Amino acid sequence: MSLLVPLAALSLLALPAILLLYFLKVRRPQLQVSSLLFWRPHVSDRQANAPWQRLRPGLLLLLQLLAAALLALGLMRPGLIGAAGVSSTTVVILDASPSMEATDVAPSRFQAAVARARQMAGQLGPGQQMAVILLGPHPELLAPPTGDAAVLRAALDRARPAGTRGDFAEGVSLANAILSGRPGGSIVMLSDGHSLPPPTPPRALAPLTYESIGVTGENAAVESISRTANGTIFLGLANYGREARDLKVDMVADGRLVDVLPVHLDGNTTADLTWSHLPAGTRVLEARLAPDDDFALDDAAWLLTAPPPQHRVLLVTSQNAFLQRALQLWPGLQLTTQKPADYRPGRYDLYVFDGWLPPGGIPQPALIVDPPAGLGPVPVGGQVDPGEVLPGNPQDRILQDVDLQDVHVQSAGAVRSVPAGWRTVIAAAADPLLLVREGGQPGAVLTFDLHHSDLPLRAAFPILVQNLLQYLMPGGFENQVFPLGQPVSLQVEPGTRSVQVVTPDGRTVALPSPSTPFTDTTRPGVYTVRQRLASGTRVSNFVVQLQDPTISRIAPGAAPLVQAASRPAGPAPRGTLEIWPWLIAAGLLALVLEWLVYLGVPVRRLASRVGWRRRLEARA
Amino acid sequence: MLTTGELALLGRLDLVYRRPQSGLYSGERRSPRSARSPEFSDFRPYVHGDDFRQVDWRAYARLERLVLRLYVAEEEACLNLLLDTSASMGLGQPPKWGAARRLVAALAFLGLAAMDRVQVGTLGGARLPPLRGRDGVSRAWAFLERLEPEGRAGPEDLRRQRWTRPGLTVVVSDFLADGASAGGVEAAEAAAGAWAVPLAELASRRQEAVLWQVLAPDEERPVVSGDVRLVDVESGAARELTITPGLVDEYTRALAAHREGLARVTRAVAGRFAHSTSADDLEAMMLSGLRVGLVKRG
Repeated sequence: MSLLVPLAALSLLALPAILLLYFLKVRRPQLQVSSLLFWRPHVSDRQANAPWQRLRPGLLLLLQLLAAALLALGLMRPGLIGAAGVSSTTVVILDASPSMEATDVAPSRFQAAVARARQMAGQLGPGQQMAVILLGPHPELLAPPTGDAAVLRAALDRARPAGTRGDFAEGVSLANAILSGRPGGSIVMLSDGHSLPPPTPPRALAPLTYESIGVTGENAAVESISRTANGTIFLGLANYGREARDLKVDMVADGRLVDVLPVHLDGNTTADLTWSHLPAGTRVLEARLAPDDDFALDDAAWLLTAPPPQHRVLLVTSQNAFLQRALQLWPGLQLTTQKPADYRPGRYDLYVFDGWLPPGGIPQPALIVDPPAGLGPVPVGGQVDPGEVLPGNPQDRILQDVDLQDVHVQSAGAVRSVPAGWRTVIAAAADPLLLVREGGQPGAVLTFDLHHSDLPLRAAFPILVQNLLQYLMPGGFENQVFPLGQPVSLQVEPGTRSVQVVTPDGRTVALPSPSTPFTDTTRPGVYTVRQRLASGTRVSNFVVQLQDPTISRIAPGAAPLVQAASRPAGPAPRGTLEIWPWLIAAGLLALVLEWLVYLGVPVRRLASRVGWRRRLEARA
Repeated sequence: MLTTGELALLGRLDLVYRRPQSGLYSGERRSPRSARSPEFSDFRPYVHGDDFRQVDWRAYARLERLVLRLYVAEEEACLNLLLDTSASMGLGQPPKWGAARRLVAALAFLGLAAMDRVQVGTLGGARLPPLRGRDGVSRAWAFLERLEPEGRAGPEDLRRQRWTRPGLTVVVSDFLADGASAGGVEAAEAAAGAWAVPLAELASRRQEAVLWQVLAPDEERPVVSGDVRLVDVESGAARELTITPGLVDEYTRALAAHREGLARVTRAVAGRFAHSTSADDLEAMMLSGLRVGLVKRG
């Protein structure tokens, strides 16, 4: 015998509470009547109401105590260990990739998968357990192994589709972690086959059953929308289905339909359209395919006509083509390059000093590369071999998508101590290599000469520079297009008190802090950002759009491959038979009996009607 | 005590006496004695000393035998009205007292309007001298208006009544006498049975018994619920109860058993049992009288 919820033993306090109520006197209103002739004295224990008088046992009291005890025991969920036969654990992997939002299966693939998981939860037998994993970009354990169908259903209620493809390998890895030490387990994957395929089939500790969701691959999409300098709009359309389709593209300017473009798309083809009737003053242009198909996420694209925010950047360097080129990749960036001898401080959004620092104060914000020894906000010493290049914190946003595995640094300035308010982004065995200032005016220091490293030759370098620019120049998200499901760093202006984001479906999300990335980008459309500043509210927009053709090809995919791993050995454990349903039923029965007695229903007459009279008499 | 409309209603009604009545004075009620009256009763052979004026000469012409023609005598009837003035009659919503008093007033009016000998009294023993004729109506009503519900009353009070002349005795009461320590159906039947002996004695004095029960609607179907302490207004006995729908149903069954018992003991002495509620108007009460044959349309 085991108690699954021993804390529920507190409910046994109801027993002394019932007894206490019997001790207390009931204050009864007095009523004059013509006669007591027709009022039969009721169950005798109700008349024992003198204050603190000795307890008299009675039928009602016994029934109440019995019901309370049974219900309390039921709440503790006692189980008979080993009485439920061989136990088994099923791990359900629920694919939350965007393609699961296709509606070729009513109401949607994802909802159909959730319904199937619900059905499995309802069919669990004694001793059987089920866990649910939501397969998003980072698999989430919705429900740990449990035999409680209510817990599983509640967890499935929380399941929502994600904005990016699920990572199948991570999902299997999490399932393995659940099933380790549990012989006789199984994995069921409910998917349309569009999760992120791993480079090599992952190893699974239990047999994997793949249940395919979805029936069709017919889907058309607006792949891209852009505008040239002369105002011509370019549209990229694609038909990922087999059948040719005659479609119309509704051109909606600021919510008003301004044109309809007919287009014929053969199966598995793409088409480009140009359109040059954009009304003057339009802020948001939407291109939407009609009629709707089974996958709505890629049926529209949005164009924000406002130019990306302009940033003026001053690069002071003797000669650094790597840095110059990486900086120019930033859209809307006006780069001014000066030699140290020609340095003229002006109004810039960012100052980049490479191998040199101005003799007076350093203007802010500044990115300092290879500072001279002893100068700058982070004083560096002589050149040393820093050793292996390592991320200071792999989760750092500045290192997002930056691969440092093959990066080497020949020599770097030794940092004696990290000043207060600075954090290390890239470290080496000996010294920090990249530091950024936290709070207040942003700043960054790269302690080595880029020419003494192979970093500029790696793909990581332009990404690192873009991430640094995002960190150093707030407002980089404005009028930009981001992929569906990707977190957007809202680099807000300094002094921002609060940030709110209005999603395309009208929800307002308040960010807990201005520096928190906005992650709720699972719906395509135009997002509005409201920054509350001391001087007022600044409103800006960005677009989230599905840009992944592999997701737009919604035809159900093949079952993912897994490798069999050495499965947990040993005899399968026997399950625990929970007996709380019987206890609760008995408690409720006792309550009903108590109620009947309370109502004055003659139990003997009731018993005789159902043929119990003889038994009662025999017992008497 | 009664409105003009109610008096007009009573003017169309009359009391029903099941047995022929024999009184001191001639009246409007059928008498057991034969006399001169427009209503033929029977023939009988002539015997010496009979009044020649009653000989049916046409029958003599046909039968050549002397026979006397007999007629129904019409004499006054004796109506005794007894009102329960115990304290319980003052309870109920609306109180039973008003309805019971008006019922007695109406029956007295009916008797006096038919030239009956009407005697109005209480179960407790107070009694007005016999009245006769419409002149007695105001005296009877004044007597009733002076009464107040107080004290106790029961079957034993009926036994203490003294009857000098045969007639019709109507007892108007709630018949909720104290005395049962335990309530319920059995106790109610026993309480109704307690009226059997007084009714038998009433019959032995050649009184035709009519028991008329008046209860309040909230006594017929109690609306009280929950934990209460019920106090008998007459005896002061108390009972603490938790009143549930089941207990109210049992109350209703006990009340029905009590009524059935009263009807049974009344039938046993060839009497009649009627009941009405304090919410009934006079017309509804007279309809109850019509149902049990105490009242007829005149």
